[in-house]
Amino acid sequence: MVNFVFDPIFSDAIIFASLLALLSIGLTLTYITTRVPNFAHASFATIGVYVALVVTHVWGLLPYVAIPISFVISGIVAVLLYTLVLKPLIRKGASAAIQMIATLAFDLIMIAILNITADYIVKTYHVTSREFSLRSYDIEFMGLPAIVIIAPITIAILAIALHIGLRKTKFGIAMRASTENSDLAGTVGINVKLIYGVSWLLGGGFAGIAGALMSMWFQGDPNLGQQIIPSIFAASIVGGFLSIQGAIVGGVLVGLTEVLGTRFLSGEFGSWLIAYRPLIPLIFIVVTLFFAPKGLAGINWSRLWRNGSRD
Amino acid sequence: MVLETETVFVVDLLAIFAIYVIVNLSLNMEFGFAGVPNFGKVLAVGAGAFVAASIPGRIFASMAGIEGDYIVDNLLIVHQVDLWLVDNVGIGFAIFFLTLGIAAAVGGGIGLLTSYPAIRLRGDYLAITLLAFGESIRIIGNNYTPLVGGTLGVQVPDPLSFLPDEMRFPAATIGLVAIAAAVYVFSEKMMRSPLGRMLRAVRDNEMAAEALGKDSTRIRIKVIIVSAALAAIGGALYSFYVGGTIAFAYDRASWTFWPFLMILIGGLANNKGVLIGTLIFVTLRKLIIFFKDSFEGFVPFDVVWLDFLLLGIILLVILLYRPQGLCVEKPTPTLARPKSSEHGVKRVFNLLFR
Repeated sequence: MVNFVFDPIFSDAIIFASLLALLSIGLTLTYITTRVPNFAHASFATIGVYVALVVTHVWGLLPYVAIPISFVISGIVAVLLYTLVLKPLIRKGASAAIQMIATLAFDLIMIAILNITADYIVKTYHVTSREFSLRSYDIEFMGLPAIVIIAPITIAILAIALHIGLRKTKFGIAMRASTENSDLAGTVGINVKLIYGVSWLLGGGFAGIAGALMSMWFQGDPNLGQQIIPSIFAASIVGGFLSIQGAIVGGVLVGLTEVLGTRFLSGEFGSWLIAYRPLIPLIFIVVTLFFAPKGLAGINWSRLWRNGSRD
Repeated sequence: MVLETETVFVVDLLAIFAIYVIVNLSLNMEFGFAGVPNFGKVLAVGAGAFVAASIPGRIFASMAGIEGDYIVDNLLIVHQVDLWLVDNVGIGFAIFFLTLGIAAAVGGGIGLLTSYPAIRLRGDYLAITLLAFGESIRIIGNNYTPLVGGTLGVQVPDPLSFLPDEMRFPAATIGLVAIAAAVYVFSEKMMRSPLGRMLRAVRDNEMAAEALGKDSTRIRIKVIIVSAALAAIGGALYSFYVGGTIAFAYDRASWTFWPFLMILIGGLANNKGVLIGTLIFVTLRKLIIFFKDSFEGFVPFDVVWLDFLLLGIILLVILLYRPQGLCVEKPTPTLARPKSSEHGVKRVFNLLFR
């Protein structure tokens, strides 16, 4: 039993920060392959939200069943984006800007399909499919909604598994080699295209898991992606875009600041401030770009430490 | 006199075409010629629209001596202002052009502020920053009521209210087409000047351009400011044309994504391509909306999403199979030295069609 009164704002903060970290890891996994930000990333999460809706309302199962299913579906969609759109574009020598526009176009197609799915679910199963919440389907654990504990644990497990996978397994080492120098990796016989495909599968899949978890606490909507994309990019920019650890730190930092900072400021200055919460990621982006454009991962911490102690 | 359905269709098509031509020319200047990936085009357009929604109405109301809170009694005040404007045509036009000027200044300022943090970094950082800022404009518009009335929106006074009802839209359309033509001439002149060639040089090989002593950051900031100012004028004109502003109309799809689609159909770095691409897109979109009702009932969802699906796929197909668009970029024809023998009309003709 939990004896103290657990303010729901902390649940908000914990869940949002964990999910942002997971989404940011996924974005990093796709970014290191093509070096182009994927603007469709947030919609991979929206897919997970709808998988969770179908699992609970149509199949009548626990929402946690949606986690593996949404991993597979979002992962496959991400691989489709990579193999059908980005790979041919790169082969034809398209610029980074053209590839970014292609991901925007893919995002638009996904938003259309998600909206069509939402309409279809309403017409066929007569359940709310816009601005819905699955919070009441969650189970209780130690007097708390289980998601508050499961979200950070899931992120921790996935991050540790990814870390071990990248450092210890042969496949992980091949993956790091391919992202650092794809030509050289190809020369020593690594199938770079396959590695990149797996990276996209993982990146999209992680976003799908984040979406499935998100539906159990936050409101689900086909346009969810557009609401969270500034936060995801802020987290990735803070983290430096190229490192998994940076993505985790960035996600937690931006997520906690968004939820707790808004709460604190609205307590000080009045509740009208809550509506300006989406400006927080923008502030993070601007401050990071001004002071540490390579993000937290790009700062040379040991040198900073040495200089600091010498003063 | 009541206008025929076909006439209304064509008049509205031309007006939307003219507005999008202004926005697309500005985007082409930025993305086509200078290679700046501005995924926050909606920001400048929205800034212009918000200026048109918040400033001229208040000026008119204070000049006409109309009392009341501009946002709360918006419908009433704008109605009274429109009646007052019937007798004050000259002031109406003066304030209208003043508003366009303010919109351009505000748009240019916002363009500078939002791109400044990332202007020195690689293109993808700039793209992300601008996209994130673009998403934010709707939130500010929705939440800060004094600006554009929040979620309810505001009406915009009509400087053409002295005209009879059926003449209003055709007259507005003629005005819009004239302004779009002026922007086209301006853009062509700018791109054929040494500045335009420098933009292409910076886009194609930044290092080479810098080795020749060109400051690529400065030139990019310059083009972003000019282009944001033009886009803001487009947004203000749209606001005046439809007679109102509502924050959620300024979303990523309408004012960032469609402009990119249009300039890519027509061909990048090519102002004639912009005209062709815009015409194709606007006509297609208008026809889809026109025939939408006949699809309704056949499919178990809102038909508007088919439209999104189709346009997204069209863009991907263009990027994959015809990335250069319908009109391929050509080497810049430089401005001819003005000859005393050459007639003025002929020079304009040469500028537009040669």
